[in-house]
Amino acid sequence: MKLVIASSIGAVLLVVPLHAQWVKVPPPSVPRTADGKPNLSAPSPRTPDGKPDLSGIWMPDNQYNGEPANFAADLRVDDVPFQPWAKALYDERKTGAQSRNDPSAQCLPQGVPRINAAPGLWKIVQTPGFIAILYEAFDSFWRQIFLDGREPADDAPPAWLGYSTGKWDSDVLVVDTKGFNGKTWLDLLGKPSTDALHVIERFRRVDFGHMEIHITIDDPKAYTRPWTVAEQVRLSPDTELMEAICNENNRDLEHLPGGPLR
Amino acid sequence: MAVRSVGLVLLIMFTGMSLRTLDAHHSFAAQYDRAKPHTIAGTVTKVEWTNPHIYLYVAVKDDAGKETVWAVEGMAPNALYRQGWRPDTVNVGDMITVEGWLARDGSRLLNMGSATMGGRKILSGTIAR
Repeated sequence: MKLVIASSIGAVLLVVPLHAQWVKVPPPSVPRTADGKPNLSAPSPRTPDGKPDLSGIWMPDNQYNGEPANFAADLRVDDVPFQPWAKALYDERKTGAQSRNDPSAQCLPQGVPRINAAPGLWKIVQTPGFIAILYEAFDSFWRQIFLDGREPADDAPPAWLGYSTGKWDSDVLVVDTKGFNGKTWLDLLGKPSTDALHVIERFRRVDFGHMEIHITIDDPKAYTRPWTVAEQVRLSPDTELMEAICNENNRDLEHLPGGPLR
Repeated sequence: MAVRSVGLVLLIMFTGMSLRTLDAHHSFAAQYDRAKPHTIAGTVTKVEWTNPHIYLYVAVKDDAGKETVWAVEGMAPNALYRQGWRPDTVNVGDMITVEGWLARDGSRLLNMGSATMGGRKILSGTIAR
């Protein structure tokens, strides 16, 4: 019997990588070290036309003491130039007393740029004319970043994730996003945004496994001047996106503090 | 049997791997109290392998034999899947011990930090958000 069990486990071990962990199928394009592990410090790849290739599945590489709460954590408080009303609202939200009203808690989109900074995997699909970012968390959201020289969509309907155009500045992808609906909390602590929000993200793939994003928040209705934070993300080389439909069974709202849903 | 064996082997393979925080769609601190760790042990009565979090419902008997059902909130199913969990890793009727944190609102809701079944740790040291 023991032999049968041992043989069974051995067989299972052999077949597990083939059918039980499909998200762990290693992509062929990942450079490997001598021991077979992904070489995340290998040089950044390039596309056939010589541009940096940002393709891959990325995840935030921030600490925030385990909470993606305050994406200005590296800044001094004075470095976030709130308008007075925005500061008052932020001070109320950051206590957690309005957590039920966080759009993300309601399974609504986290908006830009928070969606890149909160835990969750996202995949860049890069073509010469546009880049798509596919998000796993907390719904299957997507962004399009057009690289074809079109003007920003100033007349587009208000959107959670806005409308993005991009251009290359040497090896940095500069993404300009407008057209927001003003409902987004910029981070878990609740820094406000308005429909005047304009986000400029500068993506630079440092090496194969690491990318830094410098994010400028330009929202004159909520902040007295533009302000910038830096985010670090790292490659997840041995996994794949999966479906996640947040509103399937969201039981958290009834346990979170806050007023009536709005 | 074969499916459960796969699950067992995967759990052995993945228990102890570095855990990641993957599913923070809401504030953990606003819902749960880190200063109130709590442990329950009982029988699983229901399993919800759902987004944005999985739920286990566990019937716990007190010393007088009175039974109370607790809701246990876990990580997102995708995060657990990447750690080796499967929808049938925990089943109705299983005996389980869960260590976690109590909900601030006083309801019988526990956030799963670690879990043990049959003497095996099936989740270790994770804060489900």
